[in-house]
Amino acid sequence: MLSVSGVAGMVTQVVGVAAGAPLLVGWMRQVRARLEGRAGPGPAQPWRDLRKQLHKQNITPDGTTVVFAAAPVVLAGTSLVIAAIVPGVTTGSPLDRVGDLFAVVGVLLLGTVALALAGLDTGTAFGGMGASRVVTIAALVEPTILVAGVALSVPAHSSNLGRIVATTAADPGLVASPAAALAFAALAVVVVAETGRLPVDNPATHLELTMVHEAMILEYTGPRLALIEWAAAMRLTVLLTLLVNLFVPWGVAGAGAGPAGLLVGLGAVAFKVAALGTALAAAEVFLAKLRLFRVPELLAGSFLLGLLAATTSYFLTGPAG
Amino acid sequence: MSSHTYTSLLYLASGVLLLSAVGIVWGRPLRVAVRLLAAQGAALAAIPVLGGAYRHDWYLLGVGLAVCVLRAAVLPGLLARLVPPPVGLTDPREQTGAGERHETGPLLGTSASLMVTAGAVVLAYAVGQPLVALDPSPSTRAAPVALAVVLMGVLLLVTRRRAVSQIVAFLTLDNGIAAVAFLLTSGVPLVVELGASLDLLLFVLVTQVLTARMRVKFGGTDLGELQELHE
Amino acid sequence: MITTAAMAAAVLAPLVAAMFTAAVGWRPIAAWSSVAASLAILTSGIVLAANVGAGHVYAGGHLLRADALAAVMTIVIGSVGTLATWGSITYLDAELRHGHTTPARARTYGILVPAFLAAMALAVLAGNLGLTWVAVEATTIATAFLVGHRRTRASLEATWKYVIICSVGIALAFLGTVILYFASVHAGGAGGAAAAGGGDGGGLDVDTLTANATHLDPAVTRLAVVLLLLGYGTKAGLAPFHTWLADAHSQAPAPVSALMSGVLLAVAFTTLLRVKVISDLALGPGFLRTGLLIMGLGTLFVAALLLVAQRDYKRMLAYSSLEHMGLLAVAAAAGTELAIAALLLHVLAHGLGKSVLFLSAGHLQLAHGSTAIADVRGVLARGPLLGAAWAAGLFALLGFPPFALFASEVGMARGAADAKLAVPLAAALVAVVIAFVALTLHGGTLLLGSAHPEQPSLRLSAAAAAPLVAGVVACVAIGVVATPLDHLLTTAARLLTP
Repeated sequence: MLSVSGVAGMVTQVVGVAAGAPLLVGWMRQVRARLEGRAGPGPAQPWRDLRKQLHKQNITPDGTTVVFAAAPVVLAGTSLVIAAIVPGVTTGSPLDRVGDLFAVVGVLLLGTVALALAGLDTGTAFGGMGASRVVTIAALVEPTILVAGVALSVPAHSSNLGRIVATTAADPGLVASPAAALAFAALAVVVVAETGRLPVDNPATHLELTMVHEAMILEYTGPRLALIEWAAAMRLTVLLTLLVNLFVPWGVAGAGAGPAGLLVGLGAVAFKVAALGTALAAAEVFLAKLRLFRVPELLAGSFLLGLLAATTSYFLTGPAG
Repeated sequence: MSSHTYTSLLYLASGVLLLSAVGIVWGRPLRVAVRLLAAQGAALAAIPVLGGAYRHDWYLLGVGLAVCVLRAAVLPGLLARLVPPPVGLTDPREQTGAGERHETGPLLGTSASLMVTAGAVVLAYAVGQPLVALDPSPSTRAAPVALAVVLMGVLLLVTRRRAVSQIVAFLTLDNGIAAVAFLLTSGVPLVVELGASLDLLLFVLVTQVLTARMRVKFGGTDLGELQELHE
Repeated sequence: MITTAAMAAAVLAPLVAAMFTAAVGWRPIAAWSSVAASLAILTSGIVLAANVGAGHVYAGGHLLRADALAAVMTIVIGSVGTLATWGSITYLDAELRHGHTTPARARTYGILVPAFLAAMALAVLAGNLGLTWVAVEATTIATAFLVGHRRTRASLEATWKYVIICSVGIALAFLGTVILYFASVHAGGAGGAAAAGGGDGGGLDVDTLTANATHLDPAVTRLAVVLLLLGYGTKAGLAPFHTWLADAHSQAPAPVSALMSGVLLAVAFTTLLRVKVISDLALGPGFLRTGLLIMGLGTLFVAALLLVAQRDYKRMLAYSSLEHMGLLAVAAAAGTELAIAALLLHVLAHGLGKSVLFLSAGHLQLAHGSTAIADVRGVLARGPLLGAAWAAGLFALLGFPPFALFASEVGMARGAADAKLAVPLAAALVAVVIAFVALTLHGGTLLLGSAHPEQPSLRLSAAAAAPLVAGVVACVAIGVVATPLDHLLTTAARLLTP
């Protein structure tokens, strides 16, 4: 069922994410810089960085295979697919029928694995170390997203993301339930972990003992590096979008909304994501990075919260028996 | 109070009960554990208070307030006296007393404990099914949450290696049981409730004295020191 | 009503003795007040036995309730309590003389022992399972400082383990009680707490539960019974939660060990018998039988194997108690009238025999300052009276005729055979034989082994010897002239086998 509104909404989402993601990252850096008393380069700096990288030459290290070359493309591709699926601007995306929570988690994991393989493919110590760390984190992050998603899908009687958002938009009281609160806490932790923010990973570090994401992409330069940075920014954006719309779905356009509705949706989601990003950046100022071996504790805790959310939600609101 | 509000608030109280137990499993500092225990006591007391307010049952309301005083104030207050206050970094005692302020060397690491807790929650729901099936009322539906708290108490008891941690663990277990009682049957008969509360108070007093004696005899409260008696 | 007075006396007399000791401190008159309180419990038990017949009587609304089983247990508490409090007098005086304890601690001892007796009397006379639970938990609290009486590192360790393990076990029993109450309320027992606020136990009344047992929801009751079995099983020292038992019994002062071993375990076990009646009606006899057999046989084998390797005579006695609790569990699993009657006789005879042994062990410990069998040899040569008491207690415990344990063990075995429990019975017999050999060897070494010349003489003063002699006489008496008990035990057994 391709509707014009749906296709238009989806395109808006993809374009919005593609264009807005570096801006969001820049904005968060800027917030952080200001809070730390620095002037900051301005929100557009990531775009300028990307442009600079694109003009550089691609370098393929000796001994690497097609995995190394393909990983950035896969990563960017998966990010774009998720951007098309998640109900950011509209719940009526034509991909919404496959836009199941499980599909999103699967696609997300695909990107993660591609990058981890690329890290291994270089055969360097750092690449392997980063890959091992990121897989450790992913092993705990993905189940958490799944169980938290199950918790949220119970009131909507569907794991379809559009349906969940629509249900929550119709009955805002659901957000106040313990299950939703637990699920929000769980998802917030995993989004932070998955996007490599403090306290799990420091996006601004190149110190070998602490880095996770940066360790894997150490060998990349030029357009490939630009692609990876861009894709990472998009992942951050879509995950924040998902988080914010699952719990605060106000302003999201319905299935048959016209251009005005889509515009409102775009504005609303941009504002909400920017606000959440600001909060995240502000929180990071006060956080120190966790020691790596404490990270599984944090993630195990968030998995537990997610599981509690799922069980509470199922048993308190589910059918008897 | 409408039925919907009552149910939401009841579930909120159960949620806080569960979260405070998770917090106790998660954290190491004993001070935090004692504070969480107080929050847990308050959440537990909220269950009969809500029930009393909803059904206009003054007796239940009174029991709830008494439970609140005992479990949110008196017992955590007694326990707090066993945890040395935090001392400044310049204080030379900082090094020596560290073990008395934190749970040290539990038998299970934090991640593993949290994973076992997750299993315990699922187990509690499985075990609680017959209860819900017998009487599918809103409060009975929350009983498995309380059972999960009981199991977390057992987990804490088995894995923790500090005297104060074990008392906290026992009180968590007992809070869970009391919550089961309030959720299933609005509490047990008065004479039993009174007797059980008195027993609980005496238990804490006795273990408090024992902990103090342990500090004198063993120079600390590490239960790993208790190894003289064995076959 | 004389039964009301008897029930009130059984609970209140020891409390009065405790308060009296609190007021005047540890001195002869206070010590004798505890003995008087124990005798009052014994008298109450006999009065109740004579008056309840096959029915039951209430006191204080439905708060207190006595039937033949409660009467038997009251008699056990009274008789063992008398021996233990009597033995405490010389025991504590000797401790004070040796400087092992202080007058203040002796006073605490004098307060806690009768309080402990009161809690046990309340546990067997309570009219509802909730109050029974409160009383059983109270026994843990009351005995905590008794186990830690000596204030050594070892006794502190034993106390901590005892308090934590037993409290957790009992907490599980409370969870079981709550769930049973839930089932009972839904089966038409008295309503919620508000309806029962008047003071009686509502849906937890033993009679209400028994009457409604067939209406109880099976799935919920199953959950409750499992928790109750684990909980009271912990307190009764059944495996796998027996670990506190030997530590606590070996560290407690000898008269307290006698009370814990001879009565406390049995009191906890009696509660299981009450639960069994309800469980058998609600779930059929097979359910609890399986649980009791597993825990009983486990306990028997743990006890037998630990007895073999034992080097400490107080721990040896503790494991022997464990072995007897295992036997009780197997007999309860059999559940025939004969088996239950034999079980109750066993409780009484074991309580008395074990008291004599623990009191003797107390004298040995005081004289040698050690509880190792290797340090205490040739007792018979050095103290004929103490040696004879030890030998008599050992013979009673091993089940030689004319002691009552012979009759009770035969009765339990026949009961198990009647219930077609051939394999468990055979397994139990293997464990009993292992335990028999181990006890004989260790007990014999202690009694007849070659003594070092410098070891102390073990002559007892008349005051110290009197409770031992009385205990031995009582052991023989119930073995030889058990007839008055026959009727009572059979009545009690009939109550428990619907």
